[in-house]
Amino acid sequence: MSFLLKYKQLEEKREIPNENYTIRDLLVEMELSPQTVVSKQNGELVIEDTVIQEDDEIQLVQIIYGG
Amino acid sequence: MQCSKCGNPKVIYKREQSGQLLCQDCFIESIEKKVIKTVKKEKLLDKGDKVLVALSGGKDSVTTLEILNSFRQMHIIDICAVTVDEGIANYRQEGVDIAIRHAERLGIEHKVVSLKEDYGITLDEIMQRENHRGSCTYCGVFRRTIINKAAREMGATKIATGHNLDDEVQAIMMNYLEGNTDNLTKLGAKSESKAEEFTVKIKPLREIPEREIGLYVVAKGLEVHFDSCPYAMQSFRGEVSEAINQLAEKHPTLKFSTLRGYDKIKNILKNEMQKEYAHIRCRRCGEPSANELCKACSFLEELGL
Repeated sequence: MSFLLKYKQLEEKREIPNENYTIRDLLVEMELSPQTVVSKQNGELVIEDTVIQEDDEIQLVQIIYGG
Repeated sequence: MQCSKCGNPKVIYKREQSGQLLCQDCFIESIEKKVIKTVKKEKLLDKGDKVLVALSGGKDSVTTLEILNSFRQMHIIDICAVTVDEGIANYRQEGVDIAIRHAERLGIEHKVVSLKEDYGITLDEIMQRENHRGSCTYCGVFRRTIINKAAREMGATKIATGHNLDDEVQAIMMNYLEGNTDNLTKLGAKSESKAEEFTVKIKPLREIPEREIGLYVVAKGLEVHFDSCPYAMQSFRGEVSEAINQLAEKHPTLKFSTLRGYDKIKNILKNEMQKEYAHIRCRRCGEPSANELCKACSFLEELGL
C-alpha cells in the first residue's frame, strides 16, 4: 500500500504505514506545520484530516515562508 | 462532513476560529465577501479612485489586485500597479515576471521600478558593503519611497498594500512590546499623512489570516511567487510571529481579538499620542520629509551615492 508524495522538488513513493493514515499524520512525520501548507489529493484541495488511500497522489504546497 | 454553507461534501477548509467547514466555491466567496466588507466598513475606496497596487507577485499582493479588480469591473475605481525590483539575484525576477503577467491578464497600467535604475545600486550590492544596516532597513525605506513616487507619477489617489491579519497583529504586538506608541498610532486599515505628497495607503486584506490568503490563491489557480527572500533572517518580527502562532493554536480567535481590541483603542491612541511632524522637503530629492534629508537620501549619502 503506497502513495505518491509531491512536495517542492521531492517526488517519491511512500508506504501507507497504517489504516486511517491522514495527511495531518504525514505533515507531523515531515515536521511541517499545517498552518504553512495546503494539501491536494489527486489534484483536488482537501483538509488535513483526509485519509490517504492506496495510489493517491498527495501534493503539499508551501504557502507561508518565514521571514 | 459537508460544507456548512451549501452542503457540498468536498470540504477544503475548516475555520478553526468558528468550526465552519467550506467547499472550494464557498471558501473563495467568503474571502472575497470579507475583503469587500472591510473596504466598505473602513471606507477604503471612493468612487473614481485610481488605486495603485504595490504588486510583488506574492500571494498577498496578487490577492489584493484580484479582489480590487472586481471594483474596477464595476467601474467604481481604476487600478494601476507598480513592482519594485530590489535587485536580489535568484529571487526577485520570478515575482517581477508573475506581476507583469497579472497586469497583462487584467489589462492594467503597470510599471517595474528597480533600485538599480533609481538609486544606482542593488540590494545585493548594498549587502556586500561593510557596516550596512541590514537588508530589511534599506528594502523597506527604498520601496516605500519608490511606491510613493510611482503613485504621484501615475496619478493614483490610493495605494493598496497586501498586509494581512497576521502582518497587522504582528505590528500591533511588536510596537506594544517595544513601547513604540508613536508607531502604534500609525497602524490601521487606512493611513493618511498630512503631507499631500504622500498618497493615502489602504490595507484591504487586514482581516484575512495569512493562511487563508495562501489557500485562496491555490483554490483560484492564481499564479504567485511562493518563495522566501534570501535575506529573510531571524528578526524580532519573526519571534513575535512565532509566539502569536503558538498561542493561536490553542486560542484560534486570538488574532481577530487582538485586531478588534486595537481598533477599539486606535482613535484614543491617535488623539492622545500622535506626534506632529514638521513637513519639509528633502534637500536632495525634494520628497516630503520630517528632516533636512529624507530617510532614503540619508541612506544613499551613507553609501556614498
